[in-house]
Amino acid sequence: MKKTGWEHIVFRVINLLLIAFLLLPIGIVLLFAFNSGVFIIFPPEGFSLRWFHSFFTHREFMRSFWLSLQLAATTVVISTLIGTMAAIAIVRGKIPGAGFLSALFLSPLMLPAILTGLALFQFYVILDVGRTYTGLLIGHIVVTIPYVIRTVTALLHNFDRSVEEAARNLGAGELATFWHITLPLIRPGVIAGSVFAFIVSFDQFAVSLFLVQPGINTLPIQLFNYLKYSFDPTVAAAATVSIALSVTMVLLLERTIGLQEYVKL
Amino acid sequence: MKRKTLKYYLLLLPGLLLFSFFFIIPLAVVALVSLLTGNPVNDPNVTFTLRNYAKLFSDIYYFDVLTITLRIGLYTTLVCLIIGYPLAYQLARMKSKNLRTLMLMAVLSPMLIGIVIRTYAWMTLLSDQGVINATLKNLGLIREPLKLMYNEFGICLALVHIFTPFMVLTLTGVIGKIDLRLEEAARNLGASKFRTFFEVTLPLSAPGILGGSLLVFALAISSYVTPILMGGFSIITLPILIYQQISGVFNFGFAGTLGLILMLVSLVIVFFYHRIMSRVAGGVGA
Repeated sequence: MKKTGWEHIVFRVINLLLIAFLLLPIGIVLLFAFNSGVFIIFPPEGFSLRWFHSFFTHREFMRSFWLSLQLAATTVVISTLIGTMAAIAIVRGKIPGAGFLSALFLSPLMLPAILTGLALFQFYVILDVGRTYTGLLIGHIVVTIPYVIRTVTALLHNFDRSVEEAARNLGAGELATFWHITLPLIRPGVIAGSVFAFIVSFDQFAVSLFLVQPGINTLPIQLFNYLKYSFDPTVAAAATVSIALSVTMVLLLERTIGLQEYVKL
Repeated sequence: MKRKTLKYYLLLLPGLLLFSFFFIIPLAVVALVSLLTGNPVNDPNVTFTLRNYAKLFSDIYYFDVLTITLRIGLYTTLVCLIIGYPLAYQLARMKSKNLRTLMLMAVLSPMLIGIVIRTYAWMTLLSDQGVINATLKNLGLIREPLKLMYNEFGICLALVHIFTPFMVLTLTGVIGKIDLRLEEAARNLGASKFRTFFEVTLPLSAPGILGGSLLVFALAISSYVTPILMGGFSIITLPILIYQQISGVFNFGFAGTLGLILMLVSLVIVFFYHRIMSRVAGGVGA
């Protein structure tokens, strides 16, 4: 039955080219982050860490970098907590309107993020609180909660409840059952959700655009502003650091749950 | 039994409060302010008006912005589909699990990188001093830089790169669910490989084509960073116009009007996307 016709080979070649197209820009950024030249020209001039030095000693970039890290970390903790609680209530609670609630919590995924940013900013202006760190944090929590709800809900749905019943029949209390049975079983969903929440918050642009305090930018906003006026490979170094961070996160995810599991093809 | 229900309501409470106060109410306020003559906080005699909506339809400039936004969305969607289909087809039909994971990672990895960085990557390639132009100039092949960005071409190219993974994911799910026996039957009945593809596989993947296209279109018309950077701050799309209304002229009413238009379009698209995809979950070709 094995047949590899010419059309198969053409097809494979086309796909390899398409994958190259998808990976090319990232490759270029990584390459020029380590290049010693100021200009991004082929062939590269030589190996250098000067752009990383430039990034890590740039006061504005460093402030933004730490702000983004801190913001993402705080967002993850709160989103994961609130999101997991809500997901359990929606799947388990037999609450009237569960379908509506689930749609509501997922809706920030469907709404253009720029509108969430606009709405929150306008709301803060009307309340006369202006742009604060808390306001920015709330924006990030709202747009990351859907990821937590989605992953935790998926796990709760295909979950054998008889294990919990067995624990309860054997005399375990409600809390003990939750802690020792339910939580370990939904843990992959919670971890996946929090990894996504971290990446989405760390890379968040549209919501932050409206909500960052004047002069205190998150890293994506800082990079964006920098790109308006200059173009040197410091941005490539910053990009490399962000990419390394995301890749670490995904490897963590792959190690704990497996990528295929999440993508569910 | 009653205590149990109460417990679930308590679990739900923080999320519900958060979303009521920081999502639903703010969006409702956007809709409300778009219908007012001014800001109700600092102006006590505001009244209802449709002037923000009239403004949208009375000026040809806004019509142009809308046309450009939709055109960029349309081109991006078409190219994503052309690029995404072969990738999705191979992914769905791959037998080796390891190769599949590898290919999946290659296709999805651009999704892990922030939008600003991905746009920067395209700028390093396509700008006047970018890799392509600088290299061609160094080789003496061109004198004036080729106009690869600062136009709709550059915007679409970068958007295609950013949204292709979404298209591939949607398509792979649908193609993977097609019953292979239908293709075998067609082949056994004497249809050529090409005819089998065009008359069996392609029609059966229609829900994925439609779903993926709707998704990419909705994402493309609401993107901000890529159009503004790749367009060199000279091409104005709907999200850019919305931000300008706030940062430039502080006109919340008109920004809200534009925002509601974008929201309406997105929600209609998302509604149809979900209808199509939930029908697919029921089984394709079954």
